[in-house]
Amino acid sequence: MSALTHGHAHEVEKKELVEPDIRERTYIPTLLKGIAITTRHFLRNLFFDRDTNPQVVDRHGKNTMNTVQYPEEKIPYPPGYRGVHRLVPREDGKPRCVACYMCATICPAQCIYIEAAEYDPADDAAESRVIEKFPKQFVIDQLRCIVCGLCVDACPKDAIRMDTGRHTDSGYSRQSFVYDIPKLLGGDPVTHPSDPWFKRGNSTPPDWVEKEAHTRIGAAVEFPKLPASTIEIDTSKPVAVTHFKKG
Amino acid sequence: MPSFVKAIFGIGLILGGFFGLSAAMYGIGYGLERLRFENASEWWAPLATSHLAAILILMLVIVMVTATLLTLAERKWSAFMQDRPGPNRARLGGLPVVGKLLENMPLAGLPHIPADVVKMLTKESFRPRAASPFLFNLAPILAFAPVFALSAVIPMGPALSVAWDQGKSVLVQGVAAAPDFGILYMFAIASLAVYGTSLAGWASNNKFALLGGVRAASQMISYEVALGLSLVGMMIAFSTVKLAGDDGLAAMQGQYLWSFRVAGFDLGVPQWGIFLQPIGFLLFFAAAFAETKRAPFDTPEGESEIVGYFIEYSGMQFGMFMISEFVEVVVLSAVLTAVFFGAWWPPFGNEALKSALAGHEVWLGAVYGLIFWVKALLLIYLQLVIRWTFPRFRYDQVQHLGWKILLPLGLINVFVSGALILWDPSLRSLCLMGVLEMAVFGFWTLTPPRQVRQEAEARADHDGHDHGHDTHAAPALGAGSH
Repeated sequence: MSALTHGHAHEVEKKELVEPDIRERTYIPTLLKGIAITTRHFLRNLFFDRDTNPQVVDRHGKNTMNTVQYPEEKIPYPPGYRGVHRLVPREDGKPRCVACYMCATICPAQCIYIEAAEYDPADDAAESRVIEKFPKQFVIDQLRCIVCGLCVDACPKDAIRMDTGRHTDSGYSRQSFVYDIPKLLGGDPVTHPSDPWFKRGNSTPPDWVEKEAHTRIGAAVEFPKLPASTIEIDTSKPVAVTHFKKG
Repeated sequence: MPSFVKAIFGIGLILGGFFGLSAAMYGIGYGLERLRFENASEWWAPLATSHLAAILILMLVIVMVTATLLTLAERKWSAFMQDRPGPNRARLGGLPVVGKLLENMPLAGLPHIPADVVKMLTKESFRPRAASPFLFNLAPILAFAPVFALSAVIPMGPALSVAWDQGKSVLVQGVAAAPDFGILYMFAIASLAVYGTSLAGWASNNKFALLGGVRAASQMISYEVALGLSLVGMMIAFSTVKLAGDDGLAAMQGQYLWSFRVAGFDLGVPQWGIFLQPIGFLLFFAAAFAETKRAPFDTPEGESEIVGYFIEYSGMQFGMFMISEFVEVVVLSAVLTAVFFGAWWPPFGNEALKSALAGHEVWLGAVYGLIFWVKALLLIYLQLVIRWTFPRFRYDQVQHLGWKILLPLGLINVFVSGALILWDPSLRSLCLMGVLEMAVFGFWTLTPPRQVRQEAEARADHDGHDHGHDTHAAPALGAGSH
């Protein structure tokens, strides 16, 4: 036996069965108490307003309902929830994606289809000097997607994210679940100091500090704080250990 | 709008509805009786009685509409009791004129009623091929008809003499039929309801339906006995089996056992059945509740085990079973009000009310009707809250309660009440006995049972010594054996 349980052997108090009282044997008094409890709930819920706070544990007031009426009230998802994908835009609104195929390669469900196109090297525009490719087509079949988030991890350019906090919208045809660039591109634009278009000789460095803060994953969505745990754990006493007899 | 404003508005609407319908009943009844009085020689004169108004308003409007509303109230009230908002999704947005206005209003779930009605009426009434067609179609009718017919003899308002000229007056009835054998009719018709359920169980050619039907038949027949016995005390006390009429059970409860006047307002203890026969009330309520086959006596239906005698029914045929259950709730509440809760009489101020509204008999009748339905509504609430509070009985417990508890208690009640009435025909000692019984139950309800007392004592002892760990909060399973 370990020293822990040996020193503080728990004695289980056996609750003795008490002979039923006359109140219990005649049913009526205990039944009346039951009715009083039910009626109290009924009256409180009838006469007082329901607190619509989606965080049910934070609700207060006389009304004791803890329902969240779904389409009108939504429980916010925890940070890091993987919602429907988005293609992250640059400050100029074009996708950050450089069509490297990393996401399409790692996708276990093979739901990403990318068709790459090349910038014209003769073009004078800034990005064509530093980036070779851009996605001509970027398609995600949301019916195939298993929402594993590997594409987000694989992306070297922070160009695909699942931080929308939305589900895939419902639709009437399979085709409506195939999302292309116009449907995927959106949300807050993201800029990193390492972005290639800043590496041109004549560029001035942007204001990183300000930009970095809101470009971290999860920073685009405001998540409410979950309440602190109310369970108090007494560490001064040994934890109750369950012993099972062998054999 | 805050909830309590909505709730008070809703309650006011319901009470106003009952007041208005009662006024309409006495108004139409007065019109019919006067028509009959002035055309006494016409061939149709005997037909134009105020009973017609009672049939029209009481049975077809008040009882049926209340039962229809109960289909929603059952779900909405149970939701409130269980901390849910309840049904609130149906909308009246499709209506032609007011649709735009009502588009986003839940209206306390009321649009669910028309939605359910349309659904029930338009669904296919499917009949299994092996079922007996005639009996299968007959069963829902036989389940509904007796329950509805029961509401005919329940006096939901007094017979009032309305005068419009010197010496010219007519008697307006507040009941659809006032036979001398009111209570006997009630027992007879109530026992017919078993045919509907057992036929449904038999005709469906389904094992589970048959089980439900058999359970329903045996349960309802066993509780017949206790049901009849529980009212014998009231019959002896008032020496009548009439329900309606001036010498019926309902009207006689308006008299006081003890009374005094305070500034022209009469106070006192009326001879209501609940004061004279509290045990009789409990027995009758329990037995009649078992007759309605609602939880905690819902073994014939047994949703969680056999689905019950109407398992094969769909569409409006199932709807008939459902609506008959709710009509049963309304009718049972009305019977309890008429027999045990002083019918339409207010608990005090009978004389004051009568003299205040002398000469306006139709309005007096409306006030009486309102009082009756307020009492009945509270009893309806009691029935619903019982359903959502108590655990169900097992089938053998149902039979045990019926035969071994209710029946002997009913017999004892009959003998004790009979002896008391014989000893003191003024019913005062019977009332004292009843109040004593209620006081005992009240005392038991307000004081904790023995187990709670002992646990409190043990806790008080326990707190004196510090054992170092709390075995109450986290009892370690199997610990202490080593």
